[in-house]
Amino acid sequence: MIFNNIFGYEAKRKRLLKRAPAGPLHDFLSVPFPDKKQLLIDTPILSVDFETTGLHAKNDKLLSVGFVDLFANTIPLKSSYHQIVRSKGRLKSDNVTIHQITDSQKDQGEPLRVAIEALLKALTGKVMLVHFARIEREFLQQACINLYGMAPVFPMIDTLMVAKKRLDNRDVAYDPSTLRLSALRQQYNLPEHHAHNALNDAIATAELLMAQVNAMASPNKVTLSDLLL
Amino acid sequence: MSNELADILGFVKAIPPFDLLPDTQLEMVVKEIDICYLRKQEDIPPNTLVTESLFILRKGALSYYSPSNELLGMFSESDICTLYCHPQTNINIRLCSNEDTLLYALSYPALQKTLQDFPDVIAFFEQSAEQRLHKKMTRVNEDAIISSSLMNTPITHFYHTPVASISHKSTIQQAAIKMTDQGYSCLIVLNNNSFIGIVTDKDIRRRCVAQGLPFNQPITDIITQHPITIDINSNAYDALMVMTSKHIHHLPVTNQGQLEGMVTVTDLMNYEGQNAVNLTSIIHKATTVSELAKISKMLPKLQIRMAKLGTTADHVGKSISAITMAFTIRLIEMAEKLLGPAPVPYAWLAAGSQARQEQLAHSDQDNALIISDEMKPEDSFWFFDLATFVSDGLAACGFIYCPGDIMATNQKWRQPQKVWHRYFDKWVNTPSSEALLNASVFFDLTTVYGDASLLENVRNSMLEKTKRSTLFIAHLSKNALKLRPPLGFFRDFVLKHDGENKSVLDLKHNGIAPIVDLARIYALAEGISATNTIERLKQVAGSRSLTKESAANLIDAYEFISMLRMQNQSTRMQNNKKPNNLLPPKALSKLEREHLKDAFKVIKTMQDVRQTSY
Repeated sequence: MIFNNIFGYEAKRKRLLKRAPAGPLHDFLSVPFPDKKQLLIDTPILSVDFETTGLHAKNDKLLSVGFVDLFANTIPLKSSYHQIVRSKGRLKSDNVTIHQITDSQKDQGEPLRVAIEALLKALTGKVMLVHFARIEREFLQQACINLYGMAPVFPMIDTLMVAKKRLDNRDVAYDPSTLRLSALRQQYNLPEHHAHNALNDAIATAELLMAQVNAMASPNKVTLSDLLL
Repeated sequence: MSNELADILGFVKAIPPFDLLPDTQLEMVVKEIDICYLRKQEDIPPNTLVTESLFILRKGALSYYSPSNELLGMFSESDICTLYCHPQTNINIRLCSNEDTLLYALSYPALQKTLQDFPDVIAFFEQSAEQRLHKKMTRVNEDAIISSSLMNTPITHFYHTPVASISHKSTIQQAAIKMTDQGYSCLIVLNNNSFIGIVTDKDIRRRCVAQGLPFNQPITDIITQHPITIDINSNAYDALMVMTSKHIHHLPVTNQGQLEGMVTVTDLMNYEGQNAVNLTSIIHKATTVSELAKISKMLPKLQIRMAKLGTTADHVGKSISAITMAFTIRLIEMAEKLLGPAPVPYAWLAAGSQARQEQLAHSDQDNALIISDEMKPEDSFWFFDLATFVSDGLAACGFIYCPGDIMATNQKWRQPQKVWHRYFDKWVNTPSSEALLNASVFFDLTTVYGDASLLENVRNSMLEKTKRSTLFIAHLSKNALKLRPPLGFFRDFVLKHDGENKSVLDLKHNGIAPIVDLARIYALAEGISATNTIERLKQVAGSRSLTKESAANLIDAYEFISMLRMQNQSTRMQNNKKPNNLLPPKALSKLEREHLKDAFKVIKTMQDVRQTSY
């Protein structure tokens, strides 16, 4: 991300666009990202969550993709998307208890390509919002490498990092578990949600960001650069 | 697709009227939700929402205010706000968030389109408080009629078990002795535990005595073998039909062919007639106060049973009041027997809820005596003794002494007719605070016993005056309007107009009393002599004081709140708790709260009308 900060994700996007093969990735990269100086309230955001079989994009598999729009303090559920991804291999039973996607459901899912195309299309011209950026960033990049031969760039906001920054600024020790999505939602008095469903988590993350921003000194003046990774 | 929006779907599904929708339809509704986040103290709708919207509160709180900044109500989790479904009609109402709030916004035109096949659901948002309440009460009243019938009473509610039986080897005389000793009119005849027949009083008379059969003959000579039986799963109506068509008074009840019990025609009559009329006739037969006291113990049971059957509060109030009247009359008859005949004509009066026929079990006694002007000073002892006997007797029967001492034992309320004339003149002409206090009790008077013309005379001249005295009516109105219904509910609290929260709802003072007061004011202003609240409202409907629609709305509100009060009391009595009028909102379903809010709105509207008209 230091790379992005020096050169800017817009510059990188333009460079990658030249190399990108025609198709979904090219379409995605051909639209400029929102300006960093833009107010957050004016910025189109896509809140995204992946359920995976593990933490390693190279070895583990993407099980489901969920996303929803966030714009101007509003989450239109019309924009919500949820897709289980079909993949080979059996699921480990301890995984199944977390994300509750069974082998038979997985076998009925769509191929990875379908879910990634839908995601890239929805994400075009927007900022990606996630909780704990590593998973979504690495799995999306890996998927793009597998599908299109290259990893794209995409600006991200991470609600975990927003919370962490706030705690770090206070300079007191804290329990890392307080940075979990459900723990943070509780702190902001948001309702309990059914975790580990990709769409539910995407909605939960979007709600959390609204609560985090609204708790800031002047929420209407928060710009994209205040929050970008 | 299965559970992708299950959280939100589950949340919305629990909120009426969305609970009426099938899941597939609800999924379509959920898809149209815009989740909005509002900071504390933010005005609504947020400027991003341009269309007519319906809001469902997911978390947080909203308040809305009149143009003069008077708090009109609040919304909390799971509340539906329809203020912006038709924003043009609520243009002056300000809605704002009290806390950081998560809101589900639905475009109202889109919702109407999605739900076009579910007019009941849309109607819920479209109807006024009055319309919704009326719909609810129409259903309650229909149910009351259906459920009070025998058809809905299973036989198990009133059959006897075990059944008195006798061996088939017994003689006719042995059977007659057993029946006499145990007070049965019928015995089941058994052969080694298996049921072979039935013998009744009538069989002994017709088949034995009338035929000159010796009593030492075996009982089997006169029994009815293989009598008609009824299955245990039948209802009271079935039993009645069998007995009527076959001209029989005893019906053995079987469970899978095995004898289980017995139903008699008397059981059916008792069950159907375990009502005011029946209890009244027992009261008439009582000869001592302690007998009456024993009978009075049945009163709470009767109320519980009536409430369970779905009887309307109006009917229950009338029944209980009629029984109280029967107790009073019986006590007066006993007193007259003891004290000798009354020296001059008089009437025993009931005041307050009993006079309005709105009494429930365990209420206190409010009574008075009106005596003929022919009364001589020495006669006052007789009336004092009468008042003491009756009042003590009523207390023994569970009607506690009136805490405000509005009783015939109080000399002030045991007076000749001319003094009563004077009392009412004074109350109407110079409405002091004491007069207004008395008004709520004494303007609801009825004759329980004695010469009814004594009261009628006083009442007629009083009504002539109240009809003309705008000052009196104005004072009465002002006083009555002090009791305001709450605005509604906020979370599990009762929300009052000053924004204060209370943890319990006082159904009597915040719901019933304001309507009773309004009805009294209308009746006095129109010179109507009825005392029962519903009767008053019906009679003033379409007059200068009250339109027909408003009367109907108030009756709906009154019946709904009375029903909740009665159910609450019955539940408390069943749990051996003292009945009261306090209801914690937690005990109310979401829908009941909505109906209550509607009822409060009806009361407030009529109070506001009253306020501007005096």
